[in-house]
Amino acid sequence: MSQSQPNSAKQSQLRPRTIVREGLAWVVPIALLLAWQWASSAGVLSHRILPAPRDVLSAFVTLSASGELWTHVRVSTLRALSGFAVGGGLGLALGLLTGSLRWAETLLDTTLQMVRNIPPLALIPLVILWFGIDETAKLFLVSLGVFFPIYINTYHGIRSVDRGLLEMGKSYGLSGWPLYREIILPGALPSILVGVRFSLGFMWVILIVAETISARSGIGYMTMNAREFMQTDVMLVGVLMYALLGKLADLLAKGLERYWLRWNPAYQAAH
Amino acid sequence: MQISLNSKQVLTEEARGSRGVAVEVKDVSIAYGGRTVLEHLSLEIAAGEFVAIVGRSGCGKSTLLRSIAGLEVPQTGRITFGRAATSSGKPDVRVMFQDSRLLPWKRILPNVMLGLEPSLIPQAGRVLTQVGLADRAHDWPATLSGGQRQRVALARALVHDPNLLLLDEPLGSLDALTRIEMQELIEDVWRSRGFTALLVTHDVAEAITLADRVVLIEEGRVALDEVMHLPRPRTRGSARFAALEERILGRVLQRRSALRDPW
Repeated sequence: MSQSQPNSAKQSQLRPRTIVREGLAWVVPIALLLAWQWASSAGVLSHRILPAPRDVLSAFVTLSASGELWTHVRVSTLRALSGFAVGGGLGLALGLLTGSLRWAETLLDTTLQMVRNIPPLALIPLVILWFGIDETAKLFLVSLGVFFPIYINTYHGIRSVDRGLLEMGKSYGLSGWPLYREIILPGALPSILVGVRFSLGFMWVILIVAETISARSGIGYMTMNAREFMQTDVMLVGVLMYALLGKLADLLAKGLERYWLRWNPAYQAAH
Repeated sequence: MQISLNSKQVLTEEARGSRGVAVEVKDVSIAYGGRTVLEHLSLEIAAGEFVAIVGRSGCGKSTLLRSIAGLEVPQTGRITFGRAATSSGKPDVRVMFQDSRLLPWKRILPNVMLGLEPSLIPQAGRVLTQVGLADRAHDWPATLSGGQRQRVALARALVHDPNLLLLDEPLGSLDALTRIEMQELIEDVWRSRGFTALLVTHDVAEAITLADRVVLIEEGRVALDEVMHLPRPRTRGSARFAALEERILGRVLQRRSALRDPW
C-alpha cells in the first residue's frame, strides 16, 4: 500500500503536464489558421490564390452534403487500399521468401534491387500506354510504390532475427511452420511494421499523382476538375482530404504497432 | 580409465538417476578455421550425475556442451546417450544458456510453454511455482530482472522433464546474491528430479558447490577430473571446501605461471 502512494501522486502530477504538451502541439496550426483567415478578410490574400478558411469550410459542407465528396473519398480510399493489399501482400510474400531461403535470395534479390531504383512515377508514360487511364493503371502504380518498402523491411527483418533465439527454438524442437510462427515472424514484425508505415505514406503520394494525371473519379479528379473552373476552395478541400486520409493511415499503422509490439517497452503506450 | 572408474563409484555410492541418462563423449575433435577447439576429447557422465566443467575462456568447454546439445557437429568422434526413460528411448536434452533467450513477444507462461501442447498448462504453472514466479505468469519478459529471467529459462527447461540438462554458464551474468539463490534452486531441482546435469562455468567455487565431479578442460583436452566427496548441501566456509577450491584453482592457473616463468 505504502508503495502505491508515491506512484499515484506521480501520475496526477504528470497528467496536467501531458495535457499542456498535447495542447502545445496545436498552437502553431491554430495560429496559422487564424493568420490565414485574417489575411483573407483583410484582402492581403486574393481569393483566387488562397480562399479564406471559412470558404474552404463552406465548400466542404456543401460537397459533403451533396455526397459528392464522399463518393470521391470512397473511390480514392478503395484504390489506395487495393493497391496496398496487392503490392504490400506481394512485398511481404517475396520478402519472407528471400529472407528465409538462401536460393530465393540468390535468384531474386539482385533483380528486385535493380527494379527498386526505378521511381514508380517514372513509369507513368509506360503505364498509360499499357493500361490506358483505367483503374488498372492506378492499381499498378500504387502496388509498385508500396511493394518495395514492405519487401525490403520484411527481408531485413527476417535476416536480423536474433540467432540466439533461433538456436534456442530449434533446441526446443521447433522447426518448419511452428518455428516461423513462434520466432521468425514475431522477430521480424517490428521491421515489417516500419515498412508498412513507410509504404502507407508512399501509397497516398503515388495515388495523388496518378489521380491528378488521369482519372474520372477520386479526390485527385475532384481537385483537377475544380482547377478547370478556378474553384480554389474545392481544390483546397481535396488537398486537406489527402492530409486527413494520410494522417488516418498513419494512426492506423501506429495503432497496429502499439498492439503487436506491446511486449516491447519502446512501443508501449504512454499512460 | 580413471574417468569411468570415478563415475561408477559415484553411481554406486548414491543410487540416483531414475530420470537421468548416461552420456559418452568419445574422441571428439572440433576445429574452426584451422584452430583446434576440442582435441580427441573423451568424457563419460553417469546417469543422474552432476558434472561441472571448468576452464579458462576459450578452452573449449562451451563447445563441448554445444556439441552434446547437438548445436555443433564434431569433425571426429561421437557422442552417445544411454537409454532414457522416455517413450522413444531417446533422451530429452534441454539447454540453459548464459542469456535467458526468452521470447520477448510472449508472456512468461507462454514462454515456458514453448513447444508444448496447450493441455500442459497446469504443468507449466507448477514449474513456475517451483521457481517462485507463479505470480509473474502473465507479465512480459522485459519487466523481469536478469535473475528472474534465468529462473523462467530454468522453468522452461524443467517443464519438459529432461533426462539431461545442459547449463552453459547460466549464472555468469547474475549478481553474487542472486547467483547463490540460483545455485540452491538448481541443486534442489536436480536432487528432486534426478536428471543428469552438465554445468559449464568459469567459477570454480560454483562448480565445487554443485557438482559430483569437476572436470578441467585445457586446450581442448581433459586436464583434470576429480570427484567431489563433500557432503551436500555444501557450505563455502568449510575447510575442506576451501582446500579443494584452492587446489583446483591452482591447477587452472598453473599453465599461466609456467608461461610466466621462462626457466
